[in-house]
Amino acid sequence: MADPSAARSPASGPARSGATGRLRLPVAALAALAPAWLIILVVYLGTTVWTVQLSLTNSRMLPSNEFAGLAQYQRLFGTARWSISIHNLVTFGIVYVLGALVVGSLLAIAVDRRVRFESMWRTVFLYPYALSFIVTGLMWQWLMNPEIGIQATMRAAGLGWFTFDWTTRPDMAIYAVSLAGIWQSAGLVMVLMLAGLRGIDADLWRATRIEGIPMWRTYLTIVLPQLGPSLATAFMLLTMGAVRTFDLVVALTNGGPGQSTEVPAKFIMDSLFARQDLGLATAGATVMLVTVMAIAVPILYARDIWARRRSGRL
Amino acid sequence: MQDPFPSHARGPRPQGLTLPRIGLYGLLVVAALFFLLPAYVMIVTSFKSMDEIRAAQIFALPHMLDWSAWSKAWSSACAGVNCTGVSVGFFNSVKITIPATILSVLLGAVTGYALSFWRPPGSKLLFAAITIGGFIPLQIFLFPVVRGTAALGLYNSLAGIVLVHVIFGLPLTTLLFRNYYASIPVELFKAARVDGAGFWRIFVSLMLPLSLPMLIVAGLMQMTGIWNDFLLGLVFAGRDNLPMTVQLNNIVTTTTGQREYNVHMAATVLTAIVPLVAYFVSGRWFVRGITAGSVKG
Amino acid sequence: MRRLLLPSLTALLLVSTAQAQDLTAEVAHSWTSGGEAAAVKVISDAFNAKGGKWVDWSVAGFENANAAYVSRLLAGDPPTAKTAVAGPEVTELVAQGLMNDIDAAFHQAVPDGVVPQVVLNAITVDGKVYMAPTGIHAGNWMFYSKPVFEKAGITAAPKTWDEFFAAMDKIKAAGITPIAWGGQSWQEGIVFHGVVLSTIGNAAYAKLYTDKDLAVIDTPEFAQAVKTFARLRDYVDAGAPGRNWNDATAMVIKDEAGVQLLSDFIKGEFTTAGEVAGTDYGCALTPGTDSLISLADAFTFPKTGNADKDKAQVLLAETVLDPTVQAQFSVLKGSVPIRTDIDTSGFDSCAQEAIGLVKQDKIVLDAAMTLSPAINGAFKDAIGAFFADPSMSVEAFIGQYKAAFANG
Repeated sequence: MADPSAARSPASGPARSGATGRLRLPVAALAALAPAWLIILVVYLGTTVWTVQLSLTNSRMLPSNEFAGLAQYQRLFGTARWSISIHNLVTFGIVYVLGALVVGSLLAIAVDRRVRFESMWRTVFLYPYALSFIVTGLMWQWLMNPEIGIQATMRAAGLGWFTFDWTTRPDMAIYAVSLAGIWQSAGLVMVLMLAGLRGIDADLWRATRIEGIPMWRTYLTIVLPQLGPSLATAFMLLTMGAVRTFDLVVALTNGGPGQSTEVPAKFIMDSLFARQDLGLATAGATVMLVTVMAIAVPILYARDIWARRRSGRL
Repeated sequence: MQDPFPSHARGPRPQGLTLPRIGLYGLLVVAALFFLLPAYVMIVTSFKSMDEIRAAQIFALPHMLDWSAWSKAWSSACAGVNCTGVSVGFFNSVKITIPATILSVLLGAVTGYALSFWRPPGSKLLFAAITIGGFIPLQIFLFPVVRGTAALGLYNSLAGIVLVHVIFGLPLTTLLFRNYYASIPVELFKAARVDGAGFWRIFVSLMLPLSLPMLIVAGLMQMTGIWNDFLLGLVFAGRDNLPMTVQLNNIVTTTTGQREYNVHMAATVLTAIVPLVAYFVSGRWFVRGITAGSVKG
Repeated sequence: MRRLLLPSLTALLLVSTAQAQDLTAEVAHSWTSGGEAAAVKVISDAFNAKGGKWVDWSVAGFENANAAYVSRLLAGDPPTAKTAVAGPEVTELVAQGLMNDIDAAFHQAVPDGVVPQVVLNAITVDGKVYMAPTGIHAGNWMFYSKPVFEKAGITAAPKTWDEFFAAMDKIKAAGITPIAWGGQSWQEGIVFHGVVLSTIGNAAYAKLYTDKDLAVIDTPEFAQAVKTFARLRDYVDAGAPGRNWNDATAMVIKDEAGVQLLSDFIKGEFTTAGEVAGTDYGCALTPGTDSLISLADAFTFPKTGNADKDKAQVLLAETVLDPTVQAQFSVLKGSVPIRTDIDTSGFDSCAQEAIGLVKQDKIVLDAAMTLSPAINGAFKDAIGAFFADPSMSVEAFIGQYKAAFANG
């Protein structure tokens, strides 16, 4: 079906065809968009500019106007905790996004195979998405607690070799965070992929069966490419969530053990409030912003091109 | 026209209990266990006594349904010197979530409608800015928005936290509605314009009724997001309006010598209940909404 | 006489109605654990009894509490009072003109010479007193479970590190966790600085943490402290990472661990659990130290721009400095009272020892009282990372620790 938005002409078209035939600027529409414009300009743009400006000053607890050039950035990149936070975020991000995509897609494929009690399965897989990250973090913190959680239970049941103490080990803690994150988000991916799967023509399935192509080949080479938009959406939502990760880390490990689960969002919060270091915090925030933009903008652009290409072709 | 989000698979049902079929159900069962495990442990533990908990049998059912942890979590658990349980936070969350959800959904609907059908000058830029804005980490905004709400006299007030939620809800709601409206045939809109209807008339009498599914969905997603928020509540809500998530964290990190896990888990479940109930009740709407909003466009 | 009665009565009535002012004070603190909460209640009860109205604003976790507090301060809507460490955390705010002084109230409540000079210096800025100190805590304490010591055959608290490690080995052999460790960087920081004091001594400690003489870090004594600190890793249990301080104390209270190395504020937990100093638990300074690494907590008073709130602040300051309140508070909190002129017979043996040391001026100032929150935070980062990573070398840690001072 053609993308209707591409076929739409701007509102000034119908306006001309009105009873009076005059060209009318869509004043009402502009007025209705005023709050959005206000928010974008004042809040999103304005605060970003202010934050970047602060990062170029000597601010400590309160903003100062003393220009300091790139000194805060030099401090930032010389701070071990910052580099560790970035490193942790990348590790977490990759495991979380890939994990959620894979698990979610597998679940979607499974549920799509005309299983009984389909809505029950869907409900079970999606409910974690309705929970707060604080709730999820606390739940998994208790489950992974070596003294009262799964490890203790297994060992008390006789499985003395069983270990599940990721939150207490610096080398594994970040994977604990990823696991909790995947648990929370796989259902969302499943729903997105499922909708994409359902959008695939029934004839396609019939054709592949007639051709005798094995099921796994069908999924991999024919179905998955068609799920491009769904995958892109899921990828974008997951990445957005990963970069903002704060609540989950605070509830699950609070950055520990050591600094093994420190993340940039937490670094900024701590610098801003606990360390009273406005300059450093805003420098970190600016770096985060630039990184996020560097990822998001190309993807959005690509999606736009893709959507336009698809609607142009059909 | 084909139903754009059919709720059942349309292929033929595979026959019988073949091995792949068993494997499929097996996979589903294992996955279900993985997802249900934490919730099961939480609920079961909240009914246990502390002695049972220390016995480290987290999968075991409680000896009896002991509700004392629940009543303590609700009304007398201590977060510092205030021993009011999470009930205070519950009502605060309600007071925050309802107006914030309604306002942000309406704003998103109007914005999406204007961007989708009317497209006044600057619309493409605005939409791109809104979308990109959704990626900006909240920490960027914290300090300036604190100053801004203070300048407006709204800091530390209910109105302030509601406003903040509306502001940061703009990207998601706009995205949902704009994509939803993109799937509504433009002929409907053109016909209404030909009839001489203006911006608001078309919105109220044509688009809003048509948007019912998306209103529900956007409402659900916003309600869930706002109820579950922690960071904004921590910074902006002030002492009198602390949402349930912040109170929960306070209670769990406040410990009086011995951590009362059963109380903590009961408090956690209580905090999770509202979005969960909304989710279970709305079921299909929730799913449809996520897909309709995200797959198109 | 009678002619004066009516005007006097009227005057009295006017005065009493004028007294019905709103002395509500919103007090921010993170003293939320059992012993701390009981101690705070002493102050709030006394404040309410004097006509004030205490509104509690406690946020668990002092990092979260600071976050919320700074937000409100920046927004121009601060609470009436907040607890803080008497040091740069507060003096920076004073320098920015954001705080009210309580100079008059302080000098009225406290005669000269009653408060130790170091504390007085810490709470005074430009000649005026800005904080109402509640008590002094010392970081370099070792609390131990007497039953565990008995079981392991340890007769006296270790006074040197050699004795300490020998004792820990004995406890380990008895099948009990030697050290109840809270694996959070702020706790590890307290322990580390206690170890540092034991190897470099009082003079060098002051040189480093008050005068910022970085040459001290390059001495072999400092490196020795790092090595000793690293050895402690072998004596903590697997559940240590991330453990809250009061969960660790609970281990000692329940005789599931031998010692806890931390500040004396943990004593409040023992008291609340009904344990008696000298019988159920014992206390000693961190091996090798003979002075207290001292940290004064105080109530601080942001500028409110409201006359009633300012009066409430004065009343609160008076309450905190009241001798009876000081004594009762410190007993429950485990701190040493600021005033040296109060009756200390109600204090247990551990507190008596601390009080004695303060009277003898055996005090060194904790870095939290002399260095900025940013530097202290960077300390914690380095120490926490080091303890959690056995593969980090002593040199690498020392490099990071030194770099912390660059945070201004």
